[in-house]
Amino acid sequence: MSAATTRRGSAWQMLPWLAVGFFLVVQLLPLVWISIASVKTPAELAGTPMYALPASIDFGNYVRAFATSPLLKYIGNSALVALLTIVLTVALAAPAAFAIEKLRFPGAQKVLAYFLIGLMIPVFVALLPTFLAFNRIGLRDTYWALILPQVAFNLPMAIYIYTGFMRNIPDTLIEAATIDGASTFRIFRSIILPLSTNATVTIAVFNFMFAWNEFVFANTFLTSPALKTLPVGLQDFVGQYGKTDLGATFAAIVVSIVPTVLLYLFLNRRVIDGMTAGATKG
Amino acid sequence: MVRKPLTAWLFVLPALLVFTALVIAPILWSLSLSLVRWNGLGKQVFVGFGNYLQMLRDKVFVEAFFNTLFFSIVGSVVQLLAGMAMAVSLLAIRRFRNLIRVAYFVPAVVSSVAIAQIFGQVLAVQPEGLVNALLGAVGLGQYKAAFLSEPRLTLLIVTLVDAYKFCAIYMAIYYSALISIDSEMLDASLVDGANWLQQLLLVRIPAIRATIAVTIVLVVSGTLKGFDVSFVLTGGGPGASSELVSTYLYKSLFNSSNFGYGSAIAVFLAIECLLVVIALRWALRSERAAT
Repeated sequence: MSAATTRRGSAWQMLPWLAVGFFLVVQLLPLVWISIASVKTPAELAGTPMYALPASIDFGNYVRAFATSPLLKYIGNSALVALLTIVLTVALAAPAAFAIEKLRFPGAQKVLAYFLIGLMIPVFVALLPTFLAFNRIGLRDTYWALILPQVAFNLPMAIYIYTGFMRNIPDTLIEAATIDGASTFRIFRSIILPLSTNATVTIAVFNFMFAWNEFVFANTFLTSPALKTLPVGLQDFVGQYGKTDLGATFAAIVVSIVPTVLLYLFLNRRVIDGMTAGATKG
Repeated sequence: MVRKPLTAWLFVLPALLVFTALVIAPILWSLSLSLVRWNGLGKQVFVGFGNYLQMLRDKVFVEAFFNTLFFSIVGSVVQLLAGMAMAVSLLAIRRFRNLIRVAYFVPAVVSSVAIAQIFGQVLAVQPEGLVNALLGAVGLGQYKAAFLSEPRLTLLIVTLVDAYKFCAIYMAIYYSALISIDSEMLDASLVDGANWLQQLLLVRIPAIRATIAVTIVLVVSGTLKGFDVSFVLTGGGPGASSELVSTYLYKSLFNSSNFGYGSAIAVFLAIECLLVVIALRWALRSERAAT
């Protein structure tokens, strides 16, 4: 092989890496930039261009962001809402899917079809009625106002994933347990649920990501600052300090994205699989 | 399996009740609200299809409708092409594939509010954001602009920022479909003398037709419901330049207390989503059956 073809060969080999480098910059630059900008001093932010690197790492912006607003409270609220949403979704969806897929009662497929209507409904069409109803029964400005509608809108996907998964659990397992005298509830709890762990993890992961980042319900239902979740809390923060304290605003934005990104980096494949399964099964 | 219908209903009932109470009942209530004029306090006045007729005459609604069309079409094309390009770039390298896939996917786990806020800062004029600062630094100072107050740009910006958040989902879907193609088929194409690009375009991508069909339905119905980025980044403005059907109905409901009119637009949006998804599924039925 001549030197010229080798060189052309290696130029071709570089091409994929150029593309990868380009996409990495596009996907990560905004996030990396805000993180870098958040550790500049207010003087640097005012005096140097936005693309300049900080002379040193300064966490003063973070100190002010946490001191002037209940960011920690927002994180706690988001975590609580996400957690309860996941638990309730699983607690409702798993038994329903078990009944539809394994107990095969008359009308089971109609019930499934009824749930799947929910996959096509935009939340906006339920927003005002839910607002009015929650207002009347005193549920509007509570955690439940965020949890219950999210659980309801998550159910179709969760039931769909569970039924698809449980289809592959052999009926003979259930028949054997029935012969041994196990009750239906016991079969569900001791056989079906443990065998469906992968589906549960998938459902938990995508529900967590959606619940943590949910904006429409939180922005509509919550008025008490003490109940707000991160996305609406961040909106409040930027509204209040966005014009006066740029550094703290940057810090608050970074604080709002750190929990999910850390969790994601820790669980990476599971999150990607969970979120894509949650998307494609629709 | 012993059939005990009563037990089965006990298992399914809790989910059924929650779903009916919080998804189905509100839809029906919205349908009935869409036929009245009401501000939430006084009496409801029945107007029949008056709210729906008003939408046709409402210039802001019509603009929001066409904006949503643009947002959905351009956003879908950008997201699917960017997702496919990223997936193919992973396929073209041998090392660090998983690491880079994980890095590509990061924007998808960040809240759209945070992403909109970041781009608000990146595109800012005062204090000068990253884009304007860079334009100045490379001698293109004449192109510095208040991007988010420029009516000709805002809709495109909102569309692209939304695409930025979601395109990695399609990257992940395409990548896992592309690497799970039957290797015999790939080997056969190599024996036939296909080069890498030919193999990609003539074997790999046709082989994942069914996946592509699914993502088309997914991205279109997702973008039709798009809300957060427009609401947070531009508030639909300036004027109605980046107003979407979703943001406009939200404002009608919760800013102007036009409960009847807002409900009519919400019902319209739901029907639009439903019809588009059904139409797309029908149009792509042969593709979807391909695997």
